[in-house]
Amino acid sequence: MFDRDIWQEIFFSIRNNKLRTFLTGFSVGWGIFILVMLLASVNGMKNGFTNQFGNDAANSISLFARSTTEPYAGFEAGRKIQFKNSEVDYIRGNFQGFYEYISQTVNRSISARYKQETGSYNVIGVNAEFQKIEVTDIEEGRQLNELDVKNKSKVMVLGRLVVKDLFKEENPIGKFLEVNGSTFKVIGVFSDDDDDRAERSIYAPYTTLQRLYGNTSNINSIRMTYNPNFSLAQALDFSDKVEYVFKRKLKISPEDQSAIRVRNNADGFSDLNEFTGLLNTMSIGVGILILIAGIVGIGNILVFIIKERTKEIGIRKALGARPSQILKLVLLESVFITSISGFIGMLIAMGILGIIGPLINAPAFSNPSVDISIVITATLVLIISGLVAGWVPARRAAKVRPIVALSSD
Amino acid sequence: MIEIKNLHKSYKMGSNSLHVLKGIDFSVEEGELVAIMGSSGSGKSTLLNILGMLDELDEGSYDLDGVPIKNLNETKAANYRNKFLGFVFQSFNLINYKNAMENVALPLYYQKMVRKERQEKALKYLDQVGLKEWATHLPSELSGGQKQRVAIARAMVGEPKVLLADEPTGALDSKTSYEVMDLIQKINDKGNTILIVTHESDIADMCKRIVHLKDGVILEDKKVEQVRASEYV
Ligand SMILES: Nc1ncnc2c1ncn2[C@@H]1O[C@H](COP(=O)(O)OP(=O)(O)OP(=O)(O)O)[C@@H](O)[C@H]1O
Ligand SMILES: [Mg+2]
Repeated sequence: MFDRDIWQEIFFSIRNNKLRTFLTGFSVGWGIFILVMLLASVNGMKNGFTNQFGNDAANSISLFARSTTEPYAGFEAGRKIQFKNSEVDYIRGNFQGFYEYISQTVNRSISARYKQETGSYNVIGVNAEFQKIEVTDIEEGRQLNELDVKNKSKVMVLGRLVVKDLFKEENPIGKFLEVNGSTFKVIGVFSDDDDDRAERSIYAPYTTLQRLYGNTSNINSIRMTYNPNFSLAQALDFSDKVEYVFKRKLKISPEDQSAIRVRNNADGFSDLNEFTGLLNTMSIGVGILILIAGIVGIGNILVFIIKERTKEIGIRKALGARPSQILKLVLLESVFITSISGFIGMLIAMGILGIIGPLINAPAFSNPSVDISIVITATLVLIISGLVAGWVPARRAAKVRPIVALSSD
Repeated sequence: MIEIKNLHKSYKMGSNSLHVLKGIDFSVEEGELVAIMGSSGSGKSTLLNILGMLDELDEGSYDLDGVPIKNLNETKAANYRNKFLGFVFQSFNLINYKNAMENVALPLYYQKMVRKERQEKALKYLDQVGLKEWATHLPSELSGGQKQRVAIARAMVGEPKVLLADEPTGALDSKTSYEVMDLIQKINDKGNTILIVTHESDIADMCKRIVHLKDGVILEDKKVEQVRASEYV
């Protein structure tokens, strides 16, 4: 393999067949180029999809209660289902290790006033973990903490646009806001990736909202993230389990499809994975078809080169070259040409991706790129291609009888 | 060293078959220097190629240094060629992109000798044919006589039991022919067995034994008084 004589011969043969080597090398390089570009595009689509989550946790699960559509356990259809704090406590108690963060939400529409300015907003009552589930950036002040939730403090974290509406240029931190007749202290301002709707909302401790509005333990939804080490299948299994026990707990028919709505991001991901998997397979198929053309081309050039070198092979055999040594020489040359040209194709593709990749940021397509597994796969494909392409000519060369070879010119 | 009995060889050409060697009995002792003569087409090269295991016999037997040469697979044949035989061709058959030393070292490469040792030994043999200073020259930079001396060094470097030369002087003028024959005689003096195909009688006279072929049979086989080539150079 690292034999200087063999390499000397390979370089000689390439130097003497520059054009032919280039043309066939080109076809292999082109094949790999297309393969890498296709796979990178599939990656781009995947990235595009993932980006649509913004910076929110991609492993999130949301549960909403609706009305039943099936009669069950003596209840008629159409019964309204209400989640309470106890549902969240139940998950905390029974699904340790399945979830990562969990929070209830309590939603209220309110009107808020500061000095002369008023406006209507959505207040979302959450706990301190919520910021890990729906990620926001604190611009000023601080996030809600566990103490706020425990003490049912009348504090709020305002969206950037709320501050803009009510406070104009004033610094809102520590100021008091009048909300439906009570007074809340502003402790922070958040922004959320240009999401106007989110930035026009307000966070407060869910406990405070529950106490102020009817002193109930009702909640509007349960939000959580699943264990990030879970596979998609495990994640889906987790939300299925929760749905199942809640249906039993709340006396909902197991067949009822809409009383509890579960939104699991893993769902989208598993569809996406299936889809991009299909695209990947297709890309590899197309790439390999193109590569085959390259392989045939290289096989062809090698048959030519060997024909030209028949006499030399005869001389070598007269000097005691074994067929396996001739075989090795030809195969190595073939693998060398395919690998080098393939790598060039791959480098060009990666260069182009490196330049234009970061520039592309459409909603459905973002940062097309190749990962190391693609590079390794392509390399293996190339070496195997080289072996396949070289096999026929190499066998032919190894088998040629010395007397026949010597008398040819 | 070489023992041939009732050797037959024909070439098939389409539906015809050309019977080239028609029952040859022939043996060579160690240290002999044999000339094989005969008119064109008499089968000299065919015989030499069979002796050199470049071609196969149809009928008869061939023993080389006590080893029967028959139905060998290519790998085994390659090993025997590498160990037992050295070839010199009329057209030199040097590899044109390898310099003189690399050409000489090639049989050693197939003996799997390490590179450094190969080069040292190749240089030693180049020195023996008087071409040490030409070690790094390509064949295209050498004269015909020099090329043939490189070829002889290459044939001898593996220390074969038998050196086979098919018209080694066929492409050379008479002066260089004698130089080459001088070299061959010196190699023979050291005890090497050598067979030379030639149709020049002055070359044949420089051997110790002359075998005449005609139409595929041995017409005459006689020992001769060797003429030393050194008298002419
Ligand atoms: N590969 C082959 N296929 C068919 N016929 C062949 C082959 N090699 C040699 N012959 C024929 O066999 C006969 C003997 O050939 P050979 O080469 O042994 O002759 P030679 O004595 O060496 O002649 P020359 O002095 O011209 O070299 C010739 O008639 C030749 O045409
Ligand atoms: Mg001949």
